[in-house]
Amino acid sequence: MSHLPVKQARRDLFAFAGALKLPQWWLQSGALIAFVIVLVVFSTSSPLFFTLGNFANVMQQSAIVGTLAFGLTLVLVGGGVNGIAGGIDLSIAANLGFCAAVYATSLADGLAPAAAVALTLLAGTTVGLFNAFAVVVLRMLPLLATLTTMNIVAGLELVVTRNSTVSATGPTLSALLDNGPFAIPWLSYAFVGVGLVFVWLGHFTRFGLRLHASGSHPAATRAAGLRADGYVAASYVLCGLSAGVAALASTALLSGSAPGSGENLLAVIAAVLLGVVFSRRLVPTMAGTWLSVLFLGLIANGFQLDNVSSYWINGVEGALILFVVSLTALLRRRNLERSSHA
Amino acid sequence: MASEHEEVLALRDISKSFDGIPALHNVSLALARGQVHGLIGQNGAGKSTLIKILGGIHRSDDGELVLDGNIVSISTPAGARQLGIEIVHQDRLLAPTLTMAEALLLGNERTFGFLPVLNAAAMRRFARAAVQEHFDVDIDPSRLIAELSVAEQQVVQITRALLSKPRVLVLDEPTAALARHEAEQLFAAIRRLRDRGLAILYVSHYLDEIESLCDVVTVLRDGRDAGRFVVSESTPQQLVAAMIGGSTASLVPASTRKAGAPLLRVCALSAAARFEDVSFNVRRGEIVGVTGLLGSGGKAVVRSLFGLEAGVQGHIELDNKPYVPVDPRDAARRGIAFVPEDRRAHGIALDLPVRENISLASLKRLVRHALIDRRRERELVQRRIDGLQIRAPGMEAPARQLSGGNQQKVVLAKWLGTHSNLYLFDEPTVGVDIGAKAEIYRTIDELAAQGAAVLVFSTDLIELQGITDRILILARGKLVRELVSKETNHQEILGWASGAPVHEHEQQTVQA
Repeated sequence: MSHLPVKQARRDLFAFAGALKLPQWWLQSGALIAFVIVLVVFSTSSPLFFTLGNFANVMQQSAIVGTLAFGLTLVLVGGGVNGIAGGIDLSIAANLGFCAAVYATSLADGLAPAAAVALTLLAGTTVGLFNAFAVVVLRMLPLLATLTTMNIVAGLELVVTRNSTVSATGPTLSALLDNGPFAIPWLSYAFVGVGLVFVWLGHFTRFGLRLHASGSHPAATRAAGLRADGYVAASYVLCGLSAGVAALASTALLSGSAPGSGENLLAVIAAVLLGVVFSRRLVPTMAGTWLSVLFLGLIANGFQLDNVSSYWINGVEGALILFVVSLTALLRRRNLERSSHA
Repeated sequence: MASEHEEVLALRDISKSFDGIPALHNVSLALARGQVHGLIGQNGAGKSTLIKILGGIHRSDDGELVLDGNIVSISTPAGARQLGIEIVHQDRLLAPTLTMAEALLLGNERTFGFLPVLNAAAMRRFARAAVQEHFDVDIDPSRLIAELSVAEQQVVQITRALLSKPRVLVLDEPTAALARHEAEQLFAAIRRLRDRGLAILYVSHYLDEIESLCDVVTVLRDGRDAGRFVVSESTPQQLVAAMIGGSTASLVPASTRKAGAPLLRVCALSAAARFEDVSFNVRRGEIVGVTGLLGSGGKAVVRSLFGLEAGVQGHIELDNKPYVPVDPRDAARRGIAFVPEDRRAHGIALDLPVRENISLASLKRLVRHALIDRRRERELVQRRIDGLQIRAPGMEAPARQLSGGNQQKVVLAKWLGTHSNLYLFDEPTVGVDIGAKAEIYRTIDELAAQGAAVLVFSTDLIELQGITDRILILARGKLVRELVSKETNHQEILGWASGAPVHEHEQQTVQA
């Protein structure tokens, strides 16, 4: 009996040594190592970096992109990983601009704060419903369907704001920017709260599992007696809702609605795709998305503290996407080949 | 004994037609408790229509379903499930990125009481225990489906079907993607389920599986009941005759070939970890079979001649000139044609029309003034379609629309147009129904009759002995025996392939 633990330990050691040879292991640990390196480098280059206040700041800065990325993660999970036919919502950033316009305009027009919030969330959800209809009922390619929606919604934003900046103030907005416990703004807490809800939804609910199954193998999901299409449709609706939620943060941070929300699109897609490396299954996950949002936020923040032009951040994001997407595609293909030879 | 085999589900005089074309005509079948009932027939005989009627996907036009003596109607898949009928389809319907536990319990997840939070630990415990209970194997429930072997995936899929405690289990070609030893594990599990009183309908192409597993077998031919056999009292020849409606003699062509001069001389061919010191000759007009168990190197020998295996050493002469197989393009230029086993991966473009698939390898001969001569192309393709009796909606239909057997014939047709000297086949009739088999065999025979040399890797013993002149047997990477096809039998071939003299092999199978 006594030699059993030793045997187990030896087996673990062999398993670990074997794992060192696997590209997937390197990709995933590499991502974590890169995360740590970024932390260490910026901590040494700027004394302000490794402080609670700064992390709270990063959380606040990431709230918009992060919330959108959570919504988009649902869509990518439910639509599968195929780059062309898989799930994607290109309208998400334009939807954010539209929702922010609705929120700022309705506050400026004197609507009650609660009613304005409700109207904003409704606006985002409606856009999501429209996408769901186009993808699930009309069977359009998500890439094309949401590209169309993006155009429509961007136009709607201009109609609502008449292409101008609408400033907005209100108790909700100022409360979000006020400091809560530990001198951390309430917006940071709100983002963490939103993140926890999405993590629960994605990782710990029947809905999350079934949505994942729908994306991974629609026929199998249907054979299990589940309506795969329903889950995919729900992912688009929730994604639209997340744009409404993000619009609240955006309106608070910008003190109103301003054109240019569409520029968030690449950052959002980048965050979701980068998040794939944190998953053993090589699929987008809520936790992975959150980690990569923070990763990108920390890089941007570190650049600011070191006085590096923020224009570089686009290049870094682009390089990371290229690296991760090509590598995960390669890994998936290898896995596929391996399983077909087995 | 009688109560043990009481009837559970009976189909009586089931008929079904699609758009006026009959698919099933007065078919009756009775499944009994604790019995494995085989269902065989060629592609298009009506097997899948019958399964779909049982599963509630189609409704029969006529006839009745009787469950425990009561007439029932099944109109939806959920309805079939409620009546205790579970169907395990041929395709593996499991999401690859889910864990084993998640895939097993999808739609039936465990939560913490009424809290909307998944209880992952409980799901893992349940999944592991369920697989252990039914199959007596231990699969780590947190492994991803994509990481499981095909056999393990099949185990998960059948366990999934058993979760609802069905009384009737329908297995549709469960071994199509399994290696031999994996199939044996599956059979053991199926026998265990049978002994627990499940009524099992087992649909298969493979007669040897039917023989070793089933108690009773129903044969379908052209949508009609072509006979019911008690397996222990019937011969494979009888079953085949019922399936094709004629004598088995037509399956294997009576040949008038004459062997000519040696075309291929292989001397001391080796490839690290695959095979070692293999030497043989193939003459023009000769069909030589190569066989061996999984990992014996037989398949690799055949593939290596087309330049598909790396690190091959040794001396090869093709038509009295030295030949070094490194590159399939070079091999094709030297007059070698290769028909691969996995036609979907290597042999056929599913979305291209039948015409393009067939003419692809012969384009060089069809080009005139730098353009493809469409008229000549169509002539060539039509000749091939007629010659091989390829059943397709038309020359322009995408290959995807064809049945497996006809797809394989398209792959064959592609290479026939090339007038090669040496034809290499890797399992030419896997997943192909018997009618198509006969045509493929005839074509292979014709190739040899026209003076080509043919080398066939196959694990189908009937095929090996029926169409070849000689059989090379590999075991553990070594060429262990050469047999003359006419003077040997299945037992001898299997015995040498399993690396044991014949009498020892028999003892092994008894133990297994």
